[in-house]
Amino acid sequence: MASPRTEQPRIGGAVPRVSWKPALVVLVILGLTGWSAAGVGFDLVELLSSTGPIERFISGMFPPDLSARTLQTTARGVLETFQMSFLGALMGAVVAFPLAAFATGEDATVGASRGERLLRVVPYHLSRFILNVFRSVPDILWALVFVVALGLGPFPGTLALAVHSAGILGKLLSETLESVPSRPVEALRATGAGALQAFLFGRLPQAISGFTSLTLYQWECNIRSATILGFVGAGGIGQQILISMNLFDYPKVATLVGATIVAVLVVDRFSAAVRRRLVY
Amino acid sequence: MTSSPRSKEPSARGFALEKAVVSFRGTAALDGATLEVEPGERLAVVGASGAGKTTLFRVLTRGVALSGGRVTVGGRDLYSLSKGELKGVRRRIGSIYQAYNLVPQLPAGVNAALGEVGGMGALATLRTFLAGPDAALASRVAGALDRVGLGDKARARTADLSGGQQQRVAVARLLVQSPDLVLADEPFAAVDPVTTERVFEALLELNHEGATLMVNLHDVGLARRFPRVVALREGQVAFDGPPERLSEEALNEIYAGDDPHQEVVLPEPQGDGGPKEPIQLAEGRDGVSSH
Repeated sequence: MASPRTEQPRIGGAVPRVSWKPALVVLVILGLTGWSAAGVGFDLVELLSSTGPIERFISGMFPPDLSARTLQTTARGVLETFQMSFLGALMGAVVAFPLAAFATGEDATVGASRGERLLRVVPYHLSRFILNVFRSVPDILWALVFVVALGLGPFPGTLALAVHSAGILGKLLSETLESVPSRPVEALRATGAGALQAFLFGRLPQAISGFTSLTLYQWECNIRSATILGFVGAGGIGQQILISMNLFDYPKVATLVGATIVAVLVVDRFSAAVRRRLVY
Repeated sequence: MTSSPRSKEPSARGFALEKAVVSFRGTAALDGATLEVEPGERLAVVGASGAGKTTLFRVLTRGVALSGGRVTVGGRDLYSLSKGELKGVRRRIGSIYQAYNLVPQLPAGVNAALGEVGGMGALATLRTFLAGPDAALASRVAGALDRVGLGDKARARTADLSGGQQQRVAVARLLVQSPDLVLADEPFAAVDPVTTERVFEALLELNHEGATLMVNLHDVGLARRFPRVVALREGQVAFDGPPERLSEEALNEIYAGDDPHQEVVLPEPQGDGGPKEPIQLAEGRDGVSSH
């Protein structure tokens, strides 16, 4: 096929030969590094010379406070965080699903009229836009919004997690739906199946395990996020951590942080184990 | 609702291409192909890889855009039908592919039932999705699976079946659909000899029951078992007639540029207990074209 080469072909190794392009890239990275370090006031000396306060903080945490009252508060905080993360992921998934279905680009149908295309394009872009807004606002900002609207407590925190989860899951699910093998879907369309039928029987069965896995992963992310949301008053164990920190009650902080780590690890392991068992 | 859809819908048995042109990014896959097929006919399509065989099949379900010429199915211009009319025509056309194109996560029985999905309304679709096919459809599915020898596999996950079994599920889907026109695109390219015979017989049976049958083949020996052979070359019909007239010379012309000694790699027959000899490929010219 290819025309015969007249010159000796140069293949080269895996590492590109030195040229001005990689050199420029290295220069740009170095420049960005210096600029950013200066911007944030990066000071290694300060970090190394301020070991005193860090030492005091850490040694102050030991022994952790294991009194009955603290354990009770910790347990309540952990459970609340767990509930927030679970509900957040579930509600997020429920909201994400229809949005993702509309945000899934169907292959161009041959001969579709202008009106038909418009009918498809409008919900597509609308749901993409909603998902983008949901996703690009961090959950802690959503929490601030909901705390202002609904007051302090775990409920606004849960809503914040749900909205952010919906944004992330919606995007990932629509990508999963778009990337499933299209030939079975086309085969259905070729026998006269409509858009709904091709979606339900062609795309969805191929994407459902992926969606379950993504939702479980989002739950893992939520339990980590839920520990932070308390800092803005949106419930969960973070609220307890913040209070204890402000009271310099470091032994109690140690207990709370330790319990948080355990809770996160448990959910991570559980979710990973379930995801491993999913059949694709 | 699902039992007697045939009477209401127009037939799609005969079809014709008049100087059909289909291009993909400037390259013509079909370049003025003209072909007329009468209702109930049985024909094989041969040709080198890239000769336009698959495109010929896709153009008949309006799966690709037509840049020139005319395609009529059942006497009606396929590319000027409304969306609803197109669905009606597509309902009457059954397809079977080299890669099976089943939904691997669904049970075999549901895949077979999908032959009927085009005829369902939104409510029936949802009901089938949630609760499975209704009694009438379920018994047709069971009958179809029985006919292809997979009566006990209705609940098996399709992905867990062997390639040969999956192709038989695809045939069962055809039987459930009971189309007027059967388009088989390299249906034997990836299955063992036993499945080949079985699928071949099922297709012939559909043809005897009145359906028009067009099979895309890379195996010229198999193509000679059809009363009419159409050869494509560079998007045009290079030969159209009974297999006796298809001389060695004509074949060489058709496959010119395609390496005749090219090795044909067949996937191992999977667990069907079929004999392991390769399928008769003495006359196979273009190998297994990848899709």
